[in-house]
Formats: sequence, C-alpha cells, structure tokens
Amino acid sequence: MAVRYRDSVEPVVTDGRDIDRDIGELLGEGAQQRSRGAHDEHIAEMAERWQALPEASRIDPTYYDRPLLNESVWHWAIPTYYYVGGVTGASLALGAAVQLFADRDLRALVRQCRWIGFAGACISGVLLVADLGRPMRFLNMLRVFRPTSPMNVGAWILSKVGAASSLAAIFDFELAGLSAGLSGLGLATYTGVLVANTAVPVWQESRRVLPILFGSSAMASAGCLLEMVGDQRGFAVARTFRISGQIAEIALAFAMEKQVARIERVARPLRSGFSGFLWRASAVLAASSLLVTVLPIKKRAKKFAAGILGTLGSLALRFAVDKAGLASARDPRASFHLQRAQLNFTNMGA
Amino acid sequence: MAAQKGFFTDTTLCIGCKACEVACKQWNQLPDDGFLFTGMSYDNTVHLGASTWRHVAFVERPVPMKPGNDGAFSWLFSSDVCKHCARAGCLESCPTGAIIRTEYGSVYVQPDVCNGCGYCIVNCPFGVIDRREEDGRAWKCTLCYDRLRADMQPACAKSCPTESIQFGEIAELRERAEKRVEKLHEQGLNSAYLYGANAAQQPGTEGLNAFFLLVDKPEMYNLPPNPTVPTKPAKAAWGSMAVGVLGLALAAIGSALLGGRERAS
Ligand code: SF4
Ligand code: SF4
Repeated sequence: MAVRYRDSVEPVVTDGRDIDRDIGELLGEGAQQRSRGAHDEHIAEMAERWQALPEASRIDPTYYDRPLLNESVWHWAIPTYYYVGGVTGASLALGAAVQLFADRDLRALVRQCRWIGFAGACISGVLLVADLGRPMRFLNMLRVFRPTSPMNVGAWILSKVGAASSLAAIFDFELAGLSAGLSGLGLATYTGVLVANTAVPVWQESRRVLPILFGSSAMASAGCLLEMVGDQRGFAVARTFRISGQIAEIALAFAMEKQVARIERVARPLRSGFSGFLWRASAVLAASSLLVTVLPIKKRAKKFAAGILGTLGSLALRFAVDKAGLASARDPRASFHLQRAQLNFTNMGA
Repeated sequence: MAAQKGFFTDTTLCIGCKACEVACKQWNQLPDDGFLFTGMSYDNTVHLGASTWRHVAFVERPVPMKPGNDGAFSWLFSSDVCKHCARAGCLESCPTGAIIRTEYGSVYVQPDVCNGCGYCIVNCPFGVIDRREEDGRAWKCTLCYDRLRADMQPACAKSCPTESIQFGEIAELRERAEKRVEKLHEQGLNSAYLYGANAAQQPGTEGLNAFFLLVDKPEMYNLPPNPTVPTKPAKAAWGSMAVGVLGLALAAIGSALLGGRERAS
C-alpha cells in the first residue's frame, strides 16, 4: 500500500481510497476494486500518458489530442495465440483432408497433424488463461453461450478442438479426427472476427478480409512446420498447403490494406511506426519464403529456410495487427475521420 | 420490470465544479489515479477508466458562446459518464456474461463473474470501461445500482449543484431535453442539440440511456460523432470467416490430392 504525504509528521498509509477504516466501512460498489494506491510506477505511467500538449484545431478537432478509446490490455500472449491457434486449426484441417482423400501410406502425416493440433490446443489454452486479469476464473468463459461475442464462440471452438484432437491423437479415433478438422477450420479463422468485432478503427475496417487472411496465414504456418518436422512422405502435401497459403496471405494483406486505406488516417498504423514495419516485414518474409522454394539449393537447406522465413512472416503478421490496434486506439482522429465519412455517406444517401 | 432510468446531462448548465467526480469516487469508494497536472485547462482527470466513472471535460474555445457575443473566448464543460447504451458493445462482447442489463435498463458489470479478459475494453465505442492493473477486472459506472435499489438517485446527480446532471425516467428526460433545446434556440444559442437521445439520432447505438445536450461538435468533448456497437459492422467479419472456412477446407483437400499425387508419380 502506498504512503501519502511521506514527509509530513503523520504519513498516511492508503490504497488510494482515503477512507479511515476505523470510521468508514468499505461497502461501495467500487470498494472491492484492488488497488495499491497511486504508487510510483502508476504515477510515472500516467504522467507519461499525459505529456502531449494540446493542439488547437477548430477544423479537425480533438480533445487535447487525447485518445477517444481505451486501448487494449492484451499482452504478447494474444497475438502469439493467433499464431498457435492458426497452426492448430490448419493442421487439424489438413490432417482430416489427408485422412479422407489421400492414400493409406500418408497415415504418418495424418497422425502428425493430429499431434500438432493437440499440442497446439493445449498451448493455446495456456496462452489465453495467462492473459486473463483473473486467470483462476477462466472457466467462466463457458458459463454462457453468446453468439454476439466472438471470444465466447472462440472459447467453445477451442474446447471442442481440444477434446476432439486429444481423442484423435491419443486414441486414433477416425471420427474424432474428422470432427477436429472441422472445428479446426473455425479455430484458424475466428480470430479474425475476434479482432474485427471491436471499436478500434483499423481492426474494424479490416473486417471483410482479416478472417480469410488469418486463415491463409494459418495454412502457411502449419505448412512450414510440417515441412520442417513432418514425415517426408507427406512433404509434397505440406508444401502445396504452405505455398497456396502464402500466395493468399500476400494477396489478402494487400487487399486488406487497400480496404482499410479508404480512410487515410485509419490505415496509418499499417504504414508507419513499429506496427507498419511489422506489417511490411510479414509480406517480405512470406515472399522470401516463396522465393526460397524455387531456388536451386539443397532440399534440406531449402525446407528449413522456407519454413523459418514463413513462420517468422506469419508471426510478424499477427503482431503487426495487434500493434496496429494499439496505435489506432491511441489516435482519436482515426475514429473521428472514419465516423465522419460514414455520416457523410448516409447523408448523401438520404 | 422497473421503469427505464438514465441521465440527461445538460452541458450548458455545467460549471465544471467536479462535484460529480468527487461524489462518485466517495460513494463508490473508488481508489485514486494519482494526482497530476496535465496542462489541459482545468482537467486533471483526463478520461474515464476503471477507477474514474465521472469525468468533467473542459473545452477552451477561441470563439464566443453565441455569434454576436463580446469577446473571442468561451469555455465548455461537460460531465462524461458511461452511456448505458441501448446496444452496448461491452455487454454484447463479454464472453462470460459478466455484463448484464439491469431492471433499470442500465448496463452493469458483475465483479464476481468478470475474469478480466479485456474484450469489453476494445468494444466500447466511447472508451469508457477499463481494467485496473492490480485488480485484473473490468470496471465502469454502475448507474449507482445500490442507490437505485434503495430508491435514491445516483450520487453524481444528487451532488450536481446546477442540475446539469439530471436523473430520471428516460422517456420523461427526453421530453425535458427537447424542450430545453427549443428554449436555448429561442435564446439565440442555435448550436444546441441533443447527442444520442434516441435511436433515430444515433442509429449505431440505438440511443443512449445517458444522453447529452451539446453546443459544439461531439469531437470537441471527446465524444465520437457516429458511435456504433461493434457487433453491427462485424456481421461482415462473420461472412468473411465463412469464406475463409470454405477456402481453407478446399485448400486442405486440394493439397491432399495434389501433394498425394506428386509423391506417387
Ligand atoms: S458507453 Fe461503453 S461501457 Fe458504457 S454501456 Fe456503452 S459500450 Fe458499455
Ligand atoms: S473483462 Fe470481464 S466484463 Fe469485460 S468482457 Fe471480459 S469477462 Fe466481460
């Protein structure tokens, strides 16, 4: 608990509520809120946030350039989960397809897809719980079914993927393999809806493309992994999967940026700053991975070079989208310009 | 079901005394956010957040209040709060069902259910709800649910010395607000208008249970000009996901067939 008026004769120990517990009882609706008081780090953080000086503009006004939105509190675990969940979903889908449509001698690939899916589902769960403010309450996610919340829908999908992939991997249940593949399709793509279903301008404006983009990136990253560590008889399957994923990934990233850039201000985080760098880097990495595929080098070197470049590209894509959202929430004009454009559009229609 | 209750905040009556901020903090026993000077007029509160459920904005304008008035300055104050939206982004996005609509029509976060996933924070188009680091859960204005249950009005409205914050039945507040706009227009303040008073004015949220009377662009007060519950535009994202699912399935099958054949040859 913080000490206030440290240098006075009677320093006050407080958690920031300034309520004398001998006189007052903590019964208010906010009284349960845990607080260490206005401790030094908190003050330093607030001071940093408030540093910007007001900018006077009557034409394009903001409130002292302060953000309109509260920015996301998610840390690195969430973009990492987008990647891991993608690998999980796409490998399970590929496993099911191979199980149905390819020869029996590709069984080793099917089994590997299932194991990657099962491990990925476990890691996904850990990542998601780690990011919660109250990790012990993670099961509350399954207390309701709420189709308006992509996060709730995702929690159900992930549970189903976890259950089906464990049965498929450990007990080799054929039906579970197919069911895991089906729900894997959802797991690899719903994260795009999760991101788009927000008030953050750059995320909201990416809604028409992002779920497909995340799906293709999931194909690319699952393909990379299977090429590197997978059974060699399944190499051609994994490579076809990766290459089609990467071509789509590059094309869709381009399409998404174009959609978002209908309002210049909204697209800024994709074009400048750290998020912009990551966004460009992801396309360059995916393209180099494709390029390596056609280079006349040794097969072993080739598959690792392509796999590592592709994996880095997919990771960069997820982090670029995450960081772009933070930057976008910090820029009030991104919201204002977007919403003014929407208003002008409806007025013109009327 | 009890009558639908809410706030009408008439910013032309606000004198920037921050009594509402203090009353809210005190009644709800909320911790502080640090005491700092911002240099933004008289606003050292800055923004709503986990432990700040009322925030008075101070807008310094280099224009007179009404055209024709003396001087080239006017000062606007506005006490901001959770809007208790008719279509609330926080409520619709909450995966645990922690956020509920009460019998008064207000939007309430149950602290014993919230697991701090943080999804509501990016789903509020007004930047209201937030998570306090050391607490881990999401918090915002409760419309003083405990006081309403005891037949009292919310602490902020009770403490407001000028009745800038008016609490009551929404239908009645709307009528009163419209009359007030008419009166201000008669007095020559033609810029007065209502913000979010009903679904027609703000189709994105289908109306706010805490609406405002403003005299300048919403942006001046850090209010969005066309807020929309994210669930509505996100329909397109679900459509895109359907395409993605189909594409991914076809690509997986294609790879199994093509790759399988390549190996055989
Ligand atoms: S203003 Fe934000 S926090 Fe309040 S009800 Fe609306 S969406 Fe929820
Ligand atoms: S942080 Fe709490 S209230 Fe907000 S969406 Fe998550 S579970 Fe619901």
